Amino acid sequence: MKNILKITLPLVAIFVVAGVIMSMTYKYTHPVKVQAEKKEKEEALKEMAPDATDPIKVAGTWSADNKPYEYYQATAGGKSVAYIAETAGKGYSSFIKMLVSLSPDMKISDVKILDMNETPGLGDQVLEKSFLDQFKGKSLSQIVLIKGETKENIQAVSGATYSSRGVTNGVKAAVQLLVDKYGAGIKAAAQEVAK
Amino acid sequence: MSNNVSLWALFKNGIFGENPVFRLALSLCPAVAVTSGVKNGFLMGVAVLFVMTMTNVTVSLLRNFINPKVRIPSYVFITATWVTVIDQVMAAYQRAVYKEMGLYIMLIVAFAIILSRAEMFASKNKLLPSFVDGIGMGLGFLLALVLLGVFREFLGKGSLWGVHILNAKPLLIMIMPAGGFFAVGLMMGWLNWIDRKFFGGTGGGGGGHH
Repeated sequence: MKNILKITLPLVAIFVVAGVIMSMTYKYTHPVKVQAEKKEKEEALKEMAPDATDPIKVAGTWSADNKPYEYYQATAGGKSVAYIAETAGKGYSSFIKMLVSLSPDMKISDVKILDMNETPGLGDQVLEKSFLDQFKGKSLSQIVLIKGETKENIQAVSGATYSSRGVTNGVKAAVQLLVDKYGAGIKAAAQEVAK
Repeated sequence: MSNNVSLWALFKNGIFGENPVFRLALSLCPAVAVTSGVKNGFLMGVAVLFVMTMTNVTVSLLRNFINPKVRIPSYVFITATWVTVIDQVMAAYQRAVYKEMGLYIMLIVAFAIILSRAEMFASKNKLLPSFVDGIGMGLGFLLALVLLGVFREFLGKGSLWGVHILNAKPLLIMIMPAGGFFAVGLMMGWLNWIDRKFFGGTGGGGGGHH
Protein backbone atom coordinates (compact mmCIF):
# COMPACT_ATOMS: atom_id res chain seq x y z
CA MET A 1 0.00 0.00 0.00
CA LYS A 2 2.69 2.43 1.02
CA ASN A 3 4.62 1.59 -2.10
CA ILE A 4 1.70 2.31 -4.36
CA LEU A 5 1.27 5.73 -2.80
CA LYS A 6 4.98 6.47 -3.22
CA ILE A 7 4.72 5.78 -6.92
CA THR A 8 1.37 7.38 -7.51
CA LEU A 9 1.56 10.60 -5.53
CA PRO A 10 4.47 12.22 -7.42
CA LEU A 11 2.82 11.24 -10.71
CA VAL A 12 -0.47 12.79 -9.61
CA ALA A 13 1.40 15.88 -8.43
CA ILE A 14 3.03 16.26 -11.87
CA PHE A 15 -0.31 15.81 -13.61
CA VAL A 16 -2.02 18.37 -11.38
CA VAL A 17 0.71 20.98 -11.78
CA ALA A 18 0.82 20.41 -15.54
CA GLY A 19 -2.95 20.70 -15.70
CA VAL A 20 -2.84 24.00 -13.84
CA ILE A 21 -0.11 25.34 -16.15
CA MET A 22 -2.09 24.35 -19.24
CA SER A 23 -5.36 25.79 -18.04
CA MET A 24 -3.72 29.06 -17.02
CA THR A 25 -2.15 29.36 -20.47
CA TYR A 26 -5.52 28.63 -22.04
CA LYS A 27 -7.24 31.22 -19.86
CA TYR A 28 -4.90 33.99 -20.95
CA THR A 29 -4.28 33.06 -24.58
CA HIS A 30 -7.73 31.93 -25.72
CA PRO A 31 -9.42 35.37 -25.78
CA VAL A 32 -6.45 36.78 -27.71
CA LYS A 33 -6.71 33.91 -30.17
CA VAL A 34 -10.44 34.37 -30.73
CA GLN A 35 -9.90 38.08 -31.25
CA ALA A 36 -7.09 37.48 -33.76
CA GLU A 37 -9.16 34.92 -35.68
CA LYS A 38 -12.06 37.34 -35.92
CA LYS A 39 -9.80 40.09 -37.19
CA GLU A 40 -8.23 37.78 -39.77
CA LYS A 41 -11.63 36.81 -41.09
CA GLU A 42 -12.65 40.43 -41.43
CA GLU A 43 -9.43 41.20 -43.27
CA ALA A 44 -9.89 38.25 -45.61
CA LEU A 45 -13.42 39.39 -46.42
CA LYS A 46 -12.24 42.94 -46.96
CA GLU A 47 -9.69 41.66 -49.45
CA MET A 48 -12.44 39.86 -51.35
CA ALA A 49 -14.50 43.02 -51.67
CA PRO A 50 -12.11 45.98 -51.89
CA ASP A 51 -14.91 48.33 -53.00
CA ALA A 52 -16.97 47.81 -49.86
CA THR A 53 -17.01 50.79 -47.53
CA ASP A 54 -19.56 49.51 -44.99
CA PRO A 55 -18.70 46.63 -42.65
CA ILE A 56 -19.33 43.32 -44.42
CA LYS A 57 -22.33 41.62 -42.86
CA VAL A 58 -23.21 37.95 -42.62
CA ALA A 59 -26.23 37.45 -44.84
CA GLY A 60 -26.96 33.85 -43.85
CA THR A 61 -25.64 30.34 -43.59
CA TRP A 62 -25.69 27.48 -46.01
CA SER A 63 -24.24 24.01 -46.03
CA ALA A 64 -22.05 22.07 -48.41
CA ASP A 65 -21.12 18.44 -47.72
CA ASN A 66 -23.03 18.73 -44.42
CA LYS A 67 -20.71 21.43 -43.12
CA PRO A 68 -22.04 24.88 -42.29
CA TYR A 69 -20.69 27.90 -44.16
CA GLU A 70 -21.58 31.56 -44.17
CA TYR A 71 -22.24 33.98 -46.96
CA TYR A 72 -21.94 37.72 -46.90
CA GLN A 73 -23.14 40.82 -48.60
CA ALA A 74 -20.70 43.68 -49.08
CA THR A 75 -22.13 47.13 -49.53
CA ALA A 76 -20.89 50.65 -50.18
CA GLY A 77 -23.29 53.39 -49.17
CA GLY A 78 -26.14 50.90 -48.92
CA LYS A 79 -25.61 49.57 -52.46
CA SER A 80 -24.40 45.99 -53.01
CA VAL A 81 -20.91 45.85 -54.48
CA ALA A 82 -20.10 42.19 -53.92
CA TYR A 83 -21.47 38.90 -52.68
CA ILE A 84 -19.10 36.58 -50.86
CA ALA A 85 -19.54 32.95 -49.83
CA GLU A 86 -17.47 30.55 -47.83
CA THR A 87 -17.29 27.21 -49.54
CA ALA A 88 -15.30 24.01 -49.78
CA GLY A 89 -14.65 21.25 -52.25
CA LYS A 90 -13.24 17.78 -51.76
CA GLY A 91 -9.80 17.59 -53.31
CA TYR A 92 -7.48 14.60 -53.41
CA SER A 93 -6.50 14.47 -49.76
CA SER A 94 -8.38 17.27 -48.04
CA PHE A 95 -11.31 19.63 -48.07
CA ILE A 96 -10.20 22.76 -49.88
CA LYS A 97 -11.76 25.70 -48.05
CA MET A 98 -12.30 28.84 -50.07
CA LEU A 99 -13.86 32.27 -50.26
CA VAL A 100 -15.57 33.19 -53.51
CA SER A 101 -16.71 36.69 -54.30
CA LEU A 102 -19.14 37.72 -57.02
CA SER A 103 -19.66 41.13 -58.50
CA PRO A 104 -23.27 42.41 -58.68
CA ASP A 105 -23.53 41.12 -62.29
CA MET A 106 -23.00 37.58 -60.93
CA LYS A 107 -19.53 37.10 -62.39
CA ILE A 108 -16.72 35.81 -60.22
CA SER A 109 -14.43 38.58 -59.10
CA ASP A 110 -12.09 36.61 -56.86
CA VAL A 111 -11.37 33.14 -55.48
CA LYS A 112 -9.18 32.69 -52.47
CA ILE A 113 -8.10 29.39 -50.92
CA LEU A 114 -8.15 29.63 -47.13
CA ASP A 115 -7.16 26.16 -46.11
CA MET A 116 -6.08 22.97 -47.84
CA ASN A 117 -3.88 19.98 -47.35
CA GLU A 118 -3.23 18.66 -50.83
CA THR A 119 -0.12 16.77 -51.92
CA PRO A 120 2.87 19.13 -51.87
CA GLY A 121 4.30 19.59 -55.33
CA LEU A 122 1.24 18.23 -57.13
CA GLY A 123 -2.11 19.12 -55.63
CA ASP A 124 -0.92 22.35 -54.06
CA GLN A 125 -0.39 23.79 -57.53
CA VAL A 126 -4.03 24.86 -57.39
CA LEU A 127 -2.81 27.63 -55.09
CA GLU A 128 -0.97 29.19 -58.01
CA LYS A 129 -2.25 32.42 -59.47
CA SER A 130 -2.32 31.02 -62.99
CA PHE A 131 -4.97 28.51 -61.95
CA LEU A 132 -7.08 30.68 -59.66
CA ASP A 133 -7.07 33.66 -62.00
CA GLN A 134 -8.96 31.59 -64.56
CA PHE A 135 -12.10 31.95 -62.45
CA LYS A 136 -12.11 35.74 -62.61
CA GLY A 137 -14.89 37.16 -64.75
CA LYS A 138 -16.53 33.77 -65.35
CA SER A 139 -20.24 33.18 -64.84
CA LEU A 140 -21.96 30.08 -63.49
CA SER A 141 -22.36 28.24 -66.78
CA GLN A 142 -18.67 28.66 -67.61
CA ILE A 143 -17.40 26.96 -64.47
CA VAL A 144 -16.62 23.59 -66.01
CA LEU A 145 -13.33 21.83 -65.49
CA ILE A 146 -11.59 20.78 -68.69
CA LYS A 147 -8.43 18.75 -69.12
CA GLY A 148 -6.67 20.63 -71.86
CA GLU A 149 -6.44 24.09 -73.31
CA THR A 150 -9.44 26.32 -72.74
CA LYS A 151 -10.15 29.99 -72.49
CA GLU A 152 -13.92 29.69 -72.06
CA ASN A 153 -13.87 27.25 -69.10
CA ILE A 154 -11.49 26.22 -66.34
CA GLN A 155 -8.34 24.35 -67.30
CA ALA A 156 -7.26 21.68 -64.81
CA VAL A 157 -3.67 21.77 -63.58
CA SER A 158 -1.94 18.77 -65.11
CA GLY A 159 -1.00 16.32 -62.39
CA ALA A 160 -3.53 17.88 -60.03
CA THR A 161 -6.87 16.94 -61.59
CA TYR A 162 -8.55 15.92 -58.33
CA SER A 163 -7.46 19.08 -56.55
CA SER A 164 -8.53 21.21 -59.52
CA ARG A 165 -11.90 19.46 -59.46
CA GLY A 166 -12.23 20.13 -55.73
CA VAL A 167 -11.66 23.83 -56.21
CA THR A 168 -13.97 23.99 -59.23
CA ASN A 169 -16.80 22.12 -57.48
CA GLY A 170 -16.49 24.30 -54.40
CA VAL A 171 -16.55 27.49 -56.46
CA LYS A 172 -19.48 26.25 -58.51
CA ALA A 173 -21.56 25.44 -55.41
CA ALA A 174 -20.86 28.89 -53.99
CA VAL A 175 -21.72 30.68 -57.23
CA GLN A 176 -24.90 28.62 -57.56
CA LEU A 177 -25.90 29.64 -54.04
CA LEU A 178 -25.23 33.32 -54.57
CA VAL A 179 -27.00 33.37 -57.93
CA ASP A 180 -30.03 31.67 -56.32
CA LYS A 181 -30.06 34.21 -53.51
CA TYR A 182 -29.22 37.42 -55.31
CA GLY A 183 -29.33 36.68 -59.03
CA ALA A 184 -33.04 37.39 -59.53
CA GLY A 185 -32.46 40.88 -60.85
CA ILE A 186 -29.81 39.66 -63.25
CA LYS A 187 -32.03 36.86 -64.52
CA ALA A 188 -34.87 39.27 -65.17
CA ALA A 189 -32.51 41.60 -67.02
CA ALA A 190 -31.18 38.72 -69.13
CA GLN A 191 -34.73 37.64 -70.00
CA GLU A 192 -35.49 41.19 -70.95
CA VAL A 193 -32.55 41.17 -73.38
CA ALA A 194 -33.56 37.76 -74.77
CA LYS A 195 -37.03 39.06 -75.61
CA MET B 1 28.87 10.83 -18.40
CA SER B 2 28.57 14.57 -18.10
CA ASN B 3 31.23 15.00 -15.44
CA ASN B 4 34.19 14.48 -17.74
CA VAL B 5 32.69 15.88 -20.93
CA SER B 6 32.78 19.60 -21.54
CA LEU B 7 29.58 21.44 -22.33
CA TRP B 8 30.94 22.38 -25.76
CA ALA B 9 31.54 18.73 -26.58
CA LEU B 10 28.01 17.99 -25.42
CA PHE B 11 26.65 20.70 -27.66
CA LYS B 12 28.61 19.44 -30.67
CA ASN B 13 27.57 15.89 -29.92
CA GLY B 14 23.95 16.74 -30.57
CA ILE B 15 24.71 18.35 -33.90
CA PHE B 16 27.36 16.02 -35.32
CA GLY B 17 28.36 13.02 -33.25
CA GLU B 18 24.86 11.91 -32.38
CA ASN B 19 22.76 13.84 -34.84
CA PRO B 20 19.18 12.75 -34.09
CA VAL B 21 18.25 12.02 -37.68
CA PHE B 22 21.48 10.97 -39.40
CA ARG B 23 23.22 9.22 -36.52
CA LEU B 24 20.68 8.12 -33.94
CA ALA B 25 18.09 7.64 -36.71
CA LEU B 26 15.39 8.74 -34.31
CA SER B 27 12.22 10.62 -35.26
CA LEU B 28 12.59 9.69 -38.91
CA CYS B 29 8.83 9.83 -39.31
CA PRO B 30 8.60 13.63 -38.95
CA ALA B 31 11.92 13.99 -40.75
CA VAL B 32 10.34 12.39 -43.81
CA ALA B 33 6.89 13.90 -43.38
CA VAL B 34 7.67 17.60 -43.10
CA THR B 35 10.77 18.05 -45.24
CA SER B 36 9.04 18.44 -48.59
CA GLY B 37 10.07 22.08 -48.30
CA VAL B 38 12.88 23.99 -46.58
CA LYS B 39 10.42 26.25 -44.78
CA ASN B 40 8.40 23.45 -43.22
CA GLY B 41 11.56 21.69 -42.12
CA PHE B 42 12.94 24.84 -40.55
CA LEU B 43 9.75 25.70 -38.68
CA MET B 44 9.38 22.16 -37.40
CA GLY B 45 13.02 22.21 -36.31
CA VAL B 46 12.52 25.41 -34.33
CA ALA B 47 9.47 23.98 -32.57
CA VAL B 48 11.34 20.79 -31.70
CA LEU B 49 14.36 22.77 -30.49
CA PHE B 50 12.16 24.62 -28.04
CA VAL B 51 10.15 21.66 -26.77
CA MET B 52 13.29 19.56 -26.50
CA THR B 53 15.14 22.13 -24.40
CA MET B 54 12.19 22.78 -22.10
CA THR B 55 11.48 19.08 -21.62
CA ASN B 56 15.12 18.32 -20.89
CA VAL B 57 15.28 21.12 -18.34
CA THR B 58 12.05 20.08 -16.62
CA VAL B 59 12.93 16.41 -16.51
CA SER B 60 16.37 17.26 -15.16
CA LEU B 61 14.87 19.44 -12.41
CA LEU B 62 12.38 16.76 -11.43
CA ARG B 63 14.70 13.79 -11.85
CA ASN B 64 14.83 12.95 -8.14
CA PHE B 65 11.11 13.44 -7.75
CA ILE B 66 9.94 11.21 -10.60
CA ASN B 67 9.58 7.59 -9.55
CA PRO B 68 11.50 5.39 -11.99
CA LYS B 69 8.56 3.00 -12.22
CA VAL B 70 6.33 5.66 -13.74
CA ARG B 71 8.97 7.73 -15.51
CA ILE B 72 7.61 7.30 -19.05
CA PRO B 73 4.13 8.71 -18.31
CA SER B 74 5.81 11.53 -16.40
CA TYR B 75 8.10 12.41 -19.32
CA VAL B 76 5.32 12.21 -21.88
CA PHE B 77 3.14 14.41 -19.73
CA ILE B 78 5.88 16.99 -19.28
CA THR B 79 6.42 17.05 -23.05
CA ALA B 80 2.68 17.30 -23.67
CA THR B 81 2.42 20.23 -21.27
CA TRP B 82 5.13 22.20 -23.05
CA VAL B 83 3.71 21.38 -26.45
CA THR B 84 0.26 22.55 -25.37
CA VAL B 85 1.64 25.76 -23.91
CA ILE B 86 3.57 26.53 -27.10
CA ASP B 87 0.58 25.67 -29.26
CA GLN B 88 -1.70 28.02 -27.35
CA VAL B 89 0.76 30.88 -27.06
CA MET B 90 1.58 30.71 -30.77
CA ALA B 91 -2.06 30.46 -31.77
CA ALA B 92 -2.67 33.69 -29.88
CA TYR B 93 0.40 35.78 -30.60
CA GLN B 94 2.14 34.37 -33.69
CA ARG B 95 -0.71 33.79 -36.11
CA ALA B 96 1.35 33.85 -39.30
CA VAL B 97 3.82 31.24 -38.06
CA TYR B 98 1.07 29.23 -36.40
CA LYS B 99 -0.79 28.87 -39.67
CA GLU B 100 2.25 27.20 -41.20
CA MET B 101 3.24 25.12 -38.20
CA GLY B 102 -0.01 24.46 -36.36
CA LEU B 103 -0.40 21.07 -37.98
CA TYR B 104 2.94 19.79 -36.78
CA ILE B 105 3.23 21.17 -33.27
CA MET B 106 0.89 18.69 -31.62
CA LEU B 107 2.80 15.80 -33.20
CA ILE B 108 5.91 16.69 -31.23
CA VAL B 109 4.45 15.00 -28.12
CA ALA B 110 5.09 11.61 -29.66
CA PHE B 111 8.57 12.28 -31.06
CA ALA B 112 10.99 9.52 -30.18
CA ILE B 113 13.93 11.89 -29.98
CA ILE B 114 12.42 13.95 -27.16
CA LEU B 115 11.43 10.96 -25.05
CA SER B 116 14.79 9.32 -25.68
CA ARG B 117 16.78 12.38 -24.57
CA ALA B 118 14.68 12.67 -21.43
CA GLU B 119 15.27 9.01 -20.68
CA MET B 120 18.92 8.73 -21.76
CA PHE B 121 20.24 12.09 -20.66
CA ALA B 122 18.13 14.57 -18.72
CA SER B 123 16.99 12.04 -16.12
CA LYS B 124 20.61 11.31 -15.22
CA ASN B 125 22.19 14.74 -15.49
CA LYS B 126 22.17 18.13 -13.82
CA LEU B 127 20.32 21.14 -15.12
CA LEU B 128 23.06 22.82 -17.17
CA PRO B 129 24.27 19.77 -19.11
CA SER B 130 20.63 18.81 -19.79
CA PHE B 131 19.92 22.28 -21.10
CA VAL B 132 22.97 22.17 -23.38
CA ASP B 133 22.08 18.67 -24.55
CA GLY B 134 18.56 19.85 -25.38
CA ILE B 135 19.90 22.79 -27.40
CA GLY B 136 22.50 20.67 -29.18
CA MET B 137 20.09 17.87 -30.06
CA GLY B 138 17.41 20.37 -31.07
CA LEU B 139 19.84 22.23 -33.34
CA GLY B 140 21.04 18.91 -34.76
CA PHE B 141 17.47 18.00 -35.59
CA LEU B 142 16.82 21.45 -37.05
CA LEU B 143 19.94 21.25 -39.20
CA ALA B 144 19.03 17.78 -40.44
CA LEU B 145 15.52 18.88 -41.40
CA VAL B 146 16.82 21.94 -43.22
CA LEU B 147 19.39 19.85 -45.12
CA LEU B 148 16.74 17.35 -46.13
CA GLY B 149 14.39 20.18 -47.03
CA VAL B 150 16.96 21.84 -49.29
CA PHE B 151 17.78 18.54 -50.98
CA ARG B 152 14.17 17.53 -51.52
CA GLU B 153 12.65 20.87 -52.41
CA PHE B 154 15.41 21.70 -54.87
CA LEU B 155 15.23 18.36 -56.66
CA GLY B 156 11.48 17.94 -56.39
CA LYS B 157 10.19 21.42 -57.07
CA GLY B 158 13.20 23.34 -58.37
CA SER B 159 12.71 25.92 -55.64
CA LEU B 160 14.08 26.85 -52.22
CA TRP B 161 11.92 28.29 -49.42
CA GLY B 162 9.12 28.55 -51.95
CA VAL B 163 11.18 30.68 -54.36
CA HIS B 164 11.51 29.19 -57.81
CA ILE B 165 15.11 28.76 -58.91
CA LEU B 166 14.89 26.24 -61.70
CA ASN B 167 12.09 26.41 -64.17
CA ALA B 168 11.69 22.66 -64.03
CA LYS B 169 11.18 19.82 -61.60
CA PRO B 170 14.30 17.68 -61.92
CA LEU B 171 13.12 14.78 -59.77
CA LEU B 172 9.48 15.02 -58.76
CA ILE B 173 9.60 11.87 -56.64
CA MET B 174 11.81 13.65 -54.12
CA ILE B 175 8.90 15.57 -52.62
CA MET B 176 6.68 12.50 -52.48
CA PRO B 177 6.80 10.40 -49.30
CA ALA B 178 8.99 7.79 -51.00
CA GLY B 179 11.49 10.49 -51.89
CA GLY B 180 11.81 11.30 -48.20
CA PHE B 181 13.25 7.86 -47.56
CA PHE B 182 15.61 8.20 -50.52
CA ALA B 183 16.76 11.59 -49.24
CA VAL B 184 17.34 10.38 -45.66
CA GLY B 185 19.23 7.33 -46.89
CA LEU B 186 21.38 9.20 -49.40
CA MET B 187 22.15 11.97 -46.93
CA MET B 188 23.03 9.49 -44.20
CA GLY B 189 25.37 7.63 -46.55
CA TRP B 190 26.95 10.84 -47.77
CA LEU B 191 27.62 12.08 -44.23
CA ASN B 192 29.08 8.71 -43.29
CA TRP B 193 31.35 8.87 -46.33
CA ILE B 194 32.56 12.34 -45.28
CA ASP B 195 33.09 11.10 -41.74
CA ARG B 196 35.22 8.16 -42.89
CA LYS B 197 37.14 9.96 -45.57
CA PHE B 198 38.03 13.17 -43.77
CA PHE B 199 37.64 12.58 -40.07
CA GLY B 200 38.69 8.97 -39.79
CA GLY B 201 35.42 7.97 -38.19
CA THR B 202 33.68 4.69 -38.60
CA GLY B 203 30.39 6.13 -39.79
CA GLY B 204 27.17 5.65 -37.98
CA GLY B 205 23.49 5.25 -38.42
CA GLY B 206 21.42 3.60 -35.78
CA GLY B 207 18.66 1.09 -35.68
CA GLY B 208 15.89 3.36 -36.85
CA HIS B 209 12.82 4.35 -34.89
CA HIS B 210 9.78 6.33 -35.81
